[in-house]
Amino acid sequence: MSIQTLLMELVLMPLVAFVVGLFMVLMLRRIGAKLQRRVGPPMMQPLYDIVKLYGKKTQISHGWMHDIGIVMAVGGYVAAETLLPVPGMDGIADKGGLVTLVYVMMIPSLGLALGVGQCANPNGSIGIARALTAMLAYDVPFVIVVFGVAWYFGTTNLVDIIAIQQAGGVAGWGAIAMPLLAIAGLFALQGMLGKQPFEIYIAPAEIATGPMVEMSGKYLGGLFVMQCFQLYTAGVLYVSLFLGGGENWLFFLIKVFAVVAIPMTVAFLFPRYKTEQMIRLMWKWPVMIGLLGLAFVMH
Amino acid sequence: MKEIDNPIEAPVDQSRTNPLARVFDELVRFCRSRSMFMLHYCTGCGAIELPPAMTSRFDMERLGIQPMVTPRQADILLITGYVSIKTLKRVILTYEQMGSPKYVIGICSCTVNGGMYWQSYATAKQLDQYLPVDLYIAGCMPRPEAVLEGMRKLMDRIRSGEADGWKDYYRRYDWYLGNQQHLFGDDWQTPADVIGEASHYDLAEPGTEGEHTRLLQQCQKPLEPQQTFFQIGGSLEKKGESHE
Repeated sequence: MSIQTLLMELVLMPLVAFVVGLFMVLMLRRIGAKLQRRVGPPMMQPLYDIVKLYGKKTQISHGWMHDIGIVMAVGGYVAAETLLPVPGMDGIADKGGLVTLVYVMMIPSLGLALGVGQCANPNGSIGIARALTAMLAYDVPFVIVVFGVAWYFGTTNLVDIIAIQQAGGVAGWGAIAMPLLAIAGLFALQGMLGKQPFEIYIAPAEIATGPMVEMSGKYLGGLFVMQCFQLYTAGVLYVSLFLGGGENWLFFLIKVFAVVAIPMTVAFLFPRYKTEQMIRLMWKWPVMIGLLGLAFVMH
Repeated sequence: MKEIDNPIEAPVDQSRTNPLARVFDELVRFCRSRSMFMLHYCTGCGAIELPPAMTSRFDMERLGIQPMVTPRQADILLITGYVSIKTLKRVILTYEQMGSPKYVIGICSCTVNGGMYWQSYATAKQLDQYLPVDLYIAGCMPRPEAVLEGMRKLMDRIRSGEADGWKDYYRRYDWYLGNQQHLFGDDWQTPADVIGEASHYDLAEPGTEGEHTRLLQQCQKPLEPQQTFFQIGGSLEKKGESHE
């Protein structure tokens, strides 16, 4: 691969992720609207929101750690996109591998914690404490799932994992070979996206959107961009591990949107758990299912 | 309390040399009008008309209007009903924390002229003496259709650039502050530095500073952090005092 192709892919992959992520945010809001028998927002609404937030006249900063926190939050996901192979573009996926990707996906939460800490708003501090606790909760099943998949395919290289699955057709998909791990992965996905039963760190009626409470203008805009990346990253990672990645863009996008639609649809049917309930549930059921799946995979 | 009847004209901005500046401004104004985050400060009975306007019957989200929970994230401040003097302090605090451009909507006749609380000693009669109101939706109470019609009117005004009440608050801050001091007393102060913001964003004008802002600077006390104590079990004592 020439250096020009690599550079072009490094620019294109986050861009594609952003555009697809915008449509995922739209889907999230449309699904919510449909379940509540509303019409929902127009098609370009996520873009209007982001342009408006960046076009605010006054930008209230709480110090330079606040600024850097947002850059880390968005930058962590931009780095993660270059490690996620999409049809036709591998980026640096075969150099990085699954372990690096899992590591990079934790950076946004930590960056947000730094930034929110400087705002000195009690709601924000509670929110970010809950967000890090939630990360502790969903990362245990998530790591078990990632380990199981890597064990089954004998590699941590995502490009190879996708190639092996595609060589076997639908029967070779991870979800067929490891159904228990796929179920545990869906649990972890729900927690990772912060969707309703596990929505403890946003909680608008309780702690006023937690980490976002002091964010205005371009800071909130940065978080909206981050949300696009977050939905895309989680969806594409799940598709790469369990649904055979993308043979071409059409099937790839259908799979990714279908995967992301599952947590969103489940979300609007549930109230919110408390923090300790979430940890208890996450460390009990998905971990148990995941360990059982791991036992099947290793024998 | 001194009234200024003639509003000050906006200066023509000649610093933009980029040929695409006009296109870009148009785009930002359009996005502002199509995406409004709403903070509803529900002070009175008018709040009852907002749930039907937001939920499945009328669905405000079609117009890009959605509720937000903190003033930092919000674009519109909805005042729905009478504003008592105690409430008005909180409303002003909330308004000054919002990021510009920000718009205030007064719903119900109580915000227009006091409504049925005209004779009350504890109610602020005209909201636009204390905050720059961009739009009034009159009625006791206005139906959700009227609320949505008002929102559409505000969208048109934002898109054409007429809704600039937030600039007016910076330009005539002395007048607004004078009216606020008239109600709350001379030692009234808020954490937001409005004069500093006005000069930072080139919005300061002769009306920004005056006799009332001088009075504010005389009476201003530095803000102190609020002390909180946590103790699990037992009785709560003020530890800070006992050690000294």
